[in-house]
Amino acid sequence: MSDLSLATGEPPKRRRRKADMAQIIGFLILLAVTAAMIMPLWFMLSTSLKSTKEMLAYPPSFIPNRFEWGNFKELFANSELKFGQQYWNSLIVAGLTVVGTVLSSSFVAFGFARYRARLSPFLFMLLLSTLMLPYPAIMIPQFLLFTKLGLHDSLLPLILPNFFASAYMVFLLKQFFSSLPNEVYDAGRIDGCRELRLFWNLTLPLSGPVLATVAIFSFIWSWNDLLAPVLYLDSQENFTLPIGMAAMLSSKFRIAPWNLMMAASLLSVLPIVALFAVAQRRFVQGIVLTGIK
Amino acid sequence: MSKKLGKLALASTAAIALVATGCSKDNKEGAGETVTITHYTIDSPDRTFVEKLVPEFEKAHPNIKVKITKAPYEQFDSKLQSSIAAKNAPDVTSHWGYGGFMEYYNKGMLMDLTPYLGDFKASDYNIPEDVMNIYKVDGKTYGIPLNSYVTVMLYNKDMFDKAGLPYPPTDYEDKSWTFDKMVEYARKMTVDSKNLAEAQYGVDFGFGERDQRPQYFGANVYSDDTWTNGGKPSKVNLNEPAVIDAYKKIYGLIWDEKVSPTPAFSKSVSGQFGDPFLSGKIGMSVVGSWSLAAASDFSFNVGVAAVPQGPNPNVRSVLYVDPLFVLKDSKHPKEALEWIKFLIATEIQEKSIELSGGNPPVNQAAAEKYYSNFEGIAPEQLKQVFEGAYKYGFESYNHLISNYSQINELFINELASVENGDKKVEEVLPGIQEKLTKLLERVNKE
Repeated sequence: MSDLSLATGEPPKRRRRKADMAQIIGFLILLAVTAAMIMPLWFMLSTSLKSTKEMLAYPPSFIPNRFEWGNFKELFANSELKFGQQYWNSLIVAGLTVVGTVLSSSFVAFGFARYRARLSPFLFMLLLSTLMLPYPAIMIPQFLLFTKLGLHDSLLPLILPNFFASAYMVFLLKQFFSSLPNEVYDAGRIDGCRELRLFWNLTLPLSGPVLATVAIFSFIWSWNDLLAPVLYLDSQENFTLPIGMAAMLSSKFRIAPWNLMMAASLLSVLPIVALFAVAQRRFVQGIVLTGIK
Repeated sequence: MSKKLGKLALASTAAIALVATGCSKDNKEGAGETVTITHYTIDSPDRTFVEKLVPEFEKAHPNIKVKITKAPYEQFDSKLQSSIAAKNAPDVTSHWGYGGFMEYYNKGMLMDLTPYLGDFKASDYNIPEDVMNIYKVDGKTYGIPLNSYVTVMLYNKDMFDKAGLPYPPTDYEDKSWTFDKMVEYARKMTVDSKNLAEAQYGVDFGFGERDQRPQYFGANVYSDDTWTNGGKPSKVNLNEPAVIDAYKKIYGLIWDEKVSPTPAFSKSVSGQFGDPFLSGKIGMSVVGSWSLAAASDFSFNVGVAAVPQGPNPNVRSVLYVDPLFVLKDSKHPKEALEWIKFLIATEIQEKSIELSGGNPPVNQAAAEKYYSNFEGIAPEQLKQVFEGAYKYGFESYNHLISNYSQINELFINELASVENGDKKVEEVLPGIQEKLTKLLERVNKE
């Protein structure tokens, strides 16, 4: 047996060595690409822990000489910045945006995916055509509406529109809902489900991946939005993070406090990273299933 | 999930949305009762300090409430324009964004304050008559001056000492202090090195905006009728030899003399919007006097001097008189004017100097306090510099020219390639001439 394996083992071993080399090279390339990807993040972390003097020093240091943990404390302690308040406001807006978008868009998408009416293809096209309207086109009418409702300088104008479905998300969800087998719904009906229960008890539980995708997208868009909050919010206690951070860069300080800004940036990516970590498996599945990249 | 649970989730979401965000305001105002006026400003400490003055004003005017609203500098204009379009304009503001007075005026954004001024006299507030006139058009008052900034030269005393150079003078009448002498001093302080740790430059010549800079050299980018016809240049002179030579001198400081920092250097030492002078690597900086406000933060000894005598004997300083406007849609112009009068009163102007970190008051009775506000800078020297700057000053183009934000953006974008050393002045100016002429034809026709 051993002779035989020796006699026949040579070529596979060489092949394995070749395969090993290819793997190593592949690994090295991946390592280099990863390092390039991680570099900006590393600099963000490193700058957030530098003193003002070290932040301006050239050449910049990879690792701070002394870790200035005080930068993070300063963000929350500096009453001019109101960072904690802005963080909380952003969390409220983004959190409720996710809830609103997921609930309303999935409801609308369910209608388009499961019911046939004479006008439904036309209505769906009409809905999709609103994707072509850029935000600035609806900005002023929407602003007038919310001002008339007395909601100016509150977070509601940033949240409420999300409870009326987003065309993009409806499109995404409809594609997924259409792919669910009819047999499931037939079985549901036989078991006595009405339409709302078909939506709530069957469709939503089966749509984890696409709902995760919608949740992540809507969270990120809301979290990063600057224009609408600038428009609606007047008082600093209502500001969201993007406004606060834009002011830090352009007018709040004479010397742009990159260390504070990097500390703020680091804290501001945490919710997105956390959300992604939680929903990653489903999110990737959702991207595969909906064909969205 | 049960049906009950689903309903509960929906109901609680709606409840949380309402509770967490709250309905913002309760601005019911009975006729003749308390009115609320809005003061809109940029979110920077030298502007938002007015919040601290509000209680005192409200105490003296129990029927007027003042609400301060703010936006980051970059978003100031867009928020203002949208709120005007949406008929939700603030009552009081200034041209703190990219746009200027003439732009606001020509867009019909400003209220004519003349009917409300009554017995208002500029002299009661120690505002010089010619300063008051800046914001008058056809005898009508559209703005009340609040702060008057000038262009000054700040210099790094430590760098001067190290190079063994005498400090530049503060007296504008000292005609030995010339542009050429400034360049000579700058050469002695410059270390033009690729190594940022070693590199330092003699001068950063930030005289006005890019289109106003040739004025220092006696060349005018715009035809003279601009200053009499409501800020609408009938002709652009960028192809005239005097203007081309002026730009060559300006950018020659970076690329021929190599005594001024490149944009890349400035950004690396001070960030995108920062002032490279603060890094301690610039010997002299010709800059708006607002930079003085940070004097206490400087990590080196700073001095203030006259802007040197250039080829133009009449203009050596750009004046930036910041006014307060009442916007046309204001429902409470009288109350807004009360607030403005409060802000220019001597006592409040004095108080504002400290609260703002050093805003120069327009009220000349408060100016003495301003001159003695800066540690390490002799009050009499600063006074001399300011008086000289007023004498040889010209109001900033951005306050005087219509549609200035678009014009300025064109200059910034087109001249970037010259500033970065990719192109020569002669290659770029014809392009700007053509684009600017077309732009002016379009915007001034509207």
